[in-house]
Amino acid sequence: MPIREDHHTPEVLAEEELSGYLALAATEPLHALADAIITSTPGLRVLTGPTVGTARYDVREPVEAIRFGLVEVLITNAEVELEGSHGWATRLGDDRVGTLSAAICDAEVQRNGPLADSVRALCELVRADLAEQHARRWAELLPTVVHFEELDR
Amino acid sequence: MGYVAARGGTEAIAAAEELVRRSRLNADASWLELDQLTERLRYLNDRVMGEGGLWAPQLAARAIRQAEGDVIEAAHLLRAHRSTLPRLCELIPADADELRPLRRIVPAFREVPGPQLLGRTLDYTGRLLDLGDEDQARAAAAAATAAAARHPEDDPAENAGATEPPFPERLLDVLRRTDLAVDRRRDDDPEPTDISQVAVRPGIGRSAVLSVMARAETGALVNLWYRNILGPDNHLHEVTLGEVRHGELPIRVRHPRTGNPVLLGHLRATEVEAIEDLDGADEDRTRFDVGYGLVAGHNERKAIAMANLDIALHRDHSDSGLEQSVLMTTDGLDASGFLEHLKLPHYVTFRSMIERKQAMRTDRARNERKGRRHHPAPVVTPAAEQAAVPAGEVTP
Repeated sequence: MPIREDHHTPEVLAEEELSGYLALAATEPLHALADAIITSTPGLRVLTGPTVGTARYDVREPVEAIRFGLVEVLITNAEVELEGSHGWATRLGDDRVGTLSAAICDAEVQRNGPLADSVRALCELVRADLAEQHARRWAELLPTVVHFEELDR
Repeated sequence: MGYVAARGGTEAIAAAEELVRRSRLNADASWLELDQLTERLRYLNDRVMGEGGLWAPQLAARAIRQAEGDVIEAAHLLRAHRSTLPRLCELIPADADELRPLRRIVPAFREVPGPQLLGRTLDYTGRLLDLGDEDQARAAAAAATAAAARHPEDDPAENAGATEPPFPERLLDVLRRTDLAVDRRRDDDPEPTDISQVAVRPGIGRSAVLSVMARAETGALVNLWYRNILGPDNHLHEVTLGEVRHGELPIRVRHPRTGNPVLLGHLRATEVEAIEDLDGADEDRTRFDVGYGLVAGHNERKAIAMANLDIALHRDHSDSGLEQSVLMTTDGLDASGFLEHLKLPHYVTFRSMIERKQAMRTDRARNERKGRRHHPAPVVTPAAEQAAVPAGEVTP
């Protein structure tokens, strides 16, 4: 299920929604939250990464309905284990600190740790910010919609 | 005359490299921040990402700064960096219909499903160089940024709360519904060719050709289109554009625990449909056909050229060598690499060329001497004698 960009906040975030919001959160608050988590919970193991690499991005075109490679995308991913709970994150760009922080936040929610609600609150802020950005952008674009006028013959 | 192996220049090369580095740091200007490039020179940044084949706005900005604004050099830096990185995963393929428009025009039709949205474009700005006062411009920019930060809801307030319509249906679908377009949709789902892993050659298939054009150098693709706007009948033919869209496509990956899609963000892309009026003897003249262009970032010229070349290649049936030109000559790194190797020392090559000239000259003189024994000498005018000696001839 892709993350929602509407105004409805789920009571319980699906795992992929959580990962989506953590992928879109700014690095600084994620880092601060991850720091707080590992300060209160020492049992962190980094399983993989953070690794910077690429991912192939294919698009299905409409003429023959075939896929073709448009571009590659720079991503960073990481996996951690926190007190036996698995945490995973992938973020766009070269963002090792943000990605490792997101994986730690993911693990904190998976184990329902003491800062899990703080992670969910951060996701809610991200959701609200996305909705606002989206509405704002459409409001900027709307005046550029063309309204044709029939001319008298 | 033999060749003498020589070496040298290492210190000079190192000094030249250091001069570039030092000049970049010591320039009589403030440091160029990456956000200035990503936000204020977005067309440039997009072009480098598209031609470099890597969506990475911050890295593209670094490449442009390091290359001092040389677009092809910056694309080369980006592609070279990409080649050092591991490929971590495959993203979930996007459907072109998922493109959320930031701009959408339909030159072929006035009344289409969904709005015609001009969006942010230079198409309607006057081509008058802004010679306004720099300090005033700087102050105005700072004031606009501060105002937007203080009162985001006030900018543009009259449209706040407006609901964005659903993604508009593309013109190609309208033409299909009305049975005016050839339907070339395939039922199978062939694995696309990864052009970063295999060498592209004519006959490689459309997915590779589309990938090559998406990564091509903009000027090369535009030029190739401009030189090939003839139909199969060798007459000039005009293509009408259906959709011209710039918008956002979702970047999604599968969640390792649930297998469901995770939205990581978006990339911007430009999409074009080129409607072709079929008029060939073996073509369905009662319908249109459509070529498709999609490139990373905002680059309408390139997407238009790509869409036109796509349909031209389909109609060409590999008859004219156009496919070879598209595949083998439009990559900016390939072309500029070949061109720029000419700047490398060619001392031995050129020396051998000089020696061939000298040998021919000696041979000709010998033949002329033999000829004079049997024939009277020709009358040589001073002008002809002058023309026989190339200006600047090297006499080693």
